[in-house]
Amino acid sequence: MSRQPRAFFALDFGSATTSAALVGHAGGRWRLLAHSAAPSTTDLDALLFGILDRVEHADSELLEFVSARERPNTAALVADLARLESRSTPPRRIAVLAGSKRQRRRLEEVAARAGWLVVGGSADVSDPLELSRLVLAWDTHAVLLGADSTPGGDEKRHLPMLGALVAAAARRRPELAVVLAGGAAIQESDFHGAGEHDRIPEVVKVVEPVAETAAEPEGDTGEEAAADAAAEGAAKDADAAVGDQPADIATADAAAPAAPVDAAPAPEPPPAPAQEREFTAPIEAPPTDRHDSVLLAPDAESGQPAGSALQQVLEGLRARSDDTRLGIARSVRSLALLLDKSIEAIEVGIDGGLRCRAEPFGPGHRNIVSSHVTMAGGSFTPEDLTDEIIDAVLSWSTIAFDRYRLSDRLRDLRSSPWGEADGEGALLRLAAAKAAVERLVAATPEISAREMPDILIAAGGVWSSTPPSVVALAMADLVRRPGVGRLACDQARLLGPLGAIADEDERRKMLKDLVGDVLLPLGSLVLPAGIRQGRSAGRMRVTGDTANSDIDLQPGGIWAVELQPGQTATADMEFKDAVRLGARGRRFSVEVSGGLGGLFVDLRDIPLRLPDRADQKRATWESWQRAMWTEIDE
Amino acid sequence: MSPRKRAGASTEARAEARFVQPEFARVPARRILVVSPTVQIRLGPGDRALVSAGQKVNPGMPIAERTCDAEFIDVGRLNRPANGSGHENGPARPIDPGQERRRPPQPGKWWVGGDDRRGKTARRETPRRVAGTLLYEMDGRWTAAAGDRHEKVESPTSGVVVEAENCIGITMKVNGVAIPAAVAGGQPTRGYLDVPRLVDGELRDTTLDVGRSGAIVVAGGRVSAEMLTRARAMSIRGMVAGSLGQAELRDLAASEARQRAGLHTTPPFGALGLDGHQRRPIASPILALLAALAGREVAILIDPPLLVLDVVDVPLPELPPDWVRVRNGVHAGREGRWLSSAGLHRFRAGIHLEAANIRLGDDLQPTVIALADLERFIL
Repeated sequence: MSRQPRAFFALDFGSATTSAALVGHAGGRWRLLAHSAAPSTTDLDALLFGILDRVEHADSELLEFVSARERPNTAALVADLARLESRSTPPRRIAVLAGSKRQRRRLEEVAARAGWLVVGGSADVSDPLELSRLVLAWDTHAVLLGADSTPGGDEKRHLPMLGALVAAAARRRPELAVVLAGGAAIQESDFHGAGEHDRIPEVVKVVEPVAETAAEPEGDTGEEAAADAAAEGAAKDADAAVGDQPADIATADAAAPAAPVDAAPAPEPPPAPAQEREFTAPIEAPPTDRHDSVLLAPDAESGQPAGSALQQVLEGLRARSDDTRLGIARSVRSLALLLDKSIEAIEVGIDGGLRCRAEPFGPGHRNIVSSHVTMAGGSFTPEDLTDEIIDAVLSWSTIAFDRYRLSDRLRDLRSSPWGEADGEGALLRLAAAKAAVERLVAATPEISAREMPDILIAAGGVWSSTPPSVVALAMADLVRRPGVGRLACDQARLLGPLGAIADEDERRKMLKDLVGDVLLPLGSLVLPAGIRQGRSAGRMRVTGDTANSDIDLQPGGIWAVELQPGQTATADMEFKDAVRLGARGRRFSVEVSGGLGGLFVDLRDIPLRLPDRADQKRATWESWQRAMWTEIDE
Repeated sequence: MSPRKRAGASTEARAEARFVQPEFARVPARRILVVSPTVQIRLGPGDRALVSAGQKVNPGMPIAERTCDAEFIDVGRLNRPANGSGHENGPARPIDPGQERRRPPQPGKWWVGGDDRRGKTARRETPRRVAGTLLYEMDGRWTAAAGDRHEKVESPTSGVVVEAENCIGITMKVNGVAIPAAVAGGQPTRGYLDVPRLVDGELRDTTLDVGRSGAIVVAGGRVSAEMLTRARAMSIRGMVAGSLGQAELRDLAASEARQRAGLHTTPPFGALGLDGHQRRPIASPILALLAALAGREVAILIDPPLLVLDVVDVPLPELPPDWVRVRNGVHAGREGRWLSSAGLHRFRAGIHLEAANIRLGDDLQPTVIALADLERFIL
């Protein structure tokens, strides 16, 4: 018997919540043995001790087996077991400067999609003093100066001034990271030509594509494959080459440290299939606190989708190598390959949010098309709490608030994210989370344009205390695309830590064992589009091993049919008029699987139509919510 | 609760807390005092630091000079002094006017407009004398953020300067201890601590009169916008309350902006919310500490929000080791004693949370409260 423990802790250090899970190798595979979450202020050892204690009480033999010790001392195990960790990157602010308002907006959008808190100014609107204030502000960590690859007259004339201004600021603040994007790279000389006593920053060019890809023709990234297919025959210029770089997780892939899970006796990984792609080296930016360098980056239009190349550079600059959100994106990508399904994940936290999607390039294909966006504005209570954000929360709220009171409550929620999680606090949290998801959805039109994913995952601490049926309803409210999909929740918050495993094969192998434990099934969602209002739309019959239901499909409503986790059923639908449910037709028969919430049949409009008056809107939300949250009046 | 201990007894207090149940350790801890915190005074383009790293500062000592009406100015070409030492970016910069002048022009260097740079002068007008900081050089021509109205920023507390940079800010390590707060508005300020009589934990508007001029007043659970306006009018230096709403902070910021625009500025005024934005009474251990310090000089700092006590020897309140306070929810602000862990408890709306049985005040029956809604105090 090996003396090495066959277990490890998977730890997700969020800004508000520390989540810990004990994963052990038992019965021939890795299993989630126990998990717990607590406010990030809680002592970690106490949390881990509590987990081990629970396992010991429930099944002491199991703990002995995975710890490879007789009568294991839980206190010693807390210290000895390997830890696989991921952490939320604290929010950082970038000052976006451009010659024109048009360019500034584009750059701001890309920077926001890379997870930065953004302040911006353009030389055609603001005077140099105002722009200097942005750059020299204490809480500004980086500066992005950008222009089109061939700057137009409106921005070209401002570039020398902006270059001089940023170079002067970089001399005053050596810790400031500077990114020159697109045509602004011409100002690179400003960072060399200062006086004899000035520090000369190193210029790092990150626009060149990585040559490794060419050596592996079979190993194209999913984005490459997609871009190649989409742009077949199109002329490729230098910028397009940049755009062909993996637009999602490559930066963090290679930057991820050797995971401590290596210490655990993971089975030998199987040989990689011949078609399976090798991961290319990333476009990498130094994620350090002190940036004695100027990064030359692609412009805001490069990449597929537009801006993804610059987004990748900015993300590498901002995020830690073991960033939780990037870890989730990596895990989702591995899961998509593993399950051969399209998977979408939406994560909402206190410091930001993530929306990512990964899907096989084609049926049975080993290439994965993936994209992701991390946004500081995806937080359920963003640091920059604007009137628009307050309005958005109000529009999702089932409680009447005045604006100042809501503002105070959201700010206090930020300082005490675990506070008042019950009663009215739970409703507020749900409204804030929905508003955050709405912002993420609005910022990712390229993902919204895709079909309903096979699996939709809700992740993040904000969902952890919410009833599963309410989480499912929130997903149905926000991700409105016709089709049939499964809903799941990353309850144990394992996707982030598992994404910290640097080796793709090892990560996939771990996920293969753990997939049933990682994804807590919430149920299935049936969401047809094109239903006419005012009369019965048809009937649905659900036939399963234990559940049989016959439902009259009334337009405008949402129903939950009981279907337990692990159960599958066939839903036969017959509509009076042709509707869209993936394809267009009147009769559909789909396989659905159960979950904690059951099967959800959503016949509401796509997009949702809501009354204009605030009180009527609240009443509408409440009627839908009450159907799924019967305990709400307790 | 009597204020008898001293700050040095904090270790003892922590040891005392260990005898309670391990679940008690999962209650979020709130530190009543922090020792020698690091604070920041932010500066912008046009502002200069009058101190340098390593320098000791005392309350009231000028540490920075702000340019109130800073505007963008095209300075033109500047000659490099023949004997300029040049090390502009060095950590230590003794403020010697002669040496300052001898430095070559650099971004951030203090600049005083010459005869030809004093602004447009009509024939009968007195020439404007402008000063500020250099911003950047382009094609050999320098630009500056400068103006003709300047105000000195006085140090609100004593400490040692860690870093000081023109246009950026001053970082200072404060001497003594401070009470951390959740939210702050206004400007760093200093005054004597005044703890008036509170009615139901609140301060009446009429309590604020001119007799409290120069004081930092403890204002109970919440401070209203009217109260802040009245306090400023009475030359009160600051207010400390349990909470500070966003509406009041906006009003205060607008008031600050109006003051800055005026020719005759008033003394700096600051406001602190110890718990956050929603109304809550001041926690009794902190109120006891403030009452014990009444009459002593204290300072309000904004970044981070702190009430600085300047001294290390502080009479600490004596706390029962199982003393907790409800931070959120329907019982917010109430205090009591930890009885036992209640495990996973079903709360309103069917939410399951880790909870504890707490005896609140003089209640006969214990109340089940979520652990995350509680806070315990550490000294």
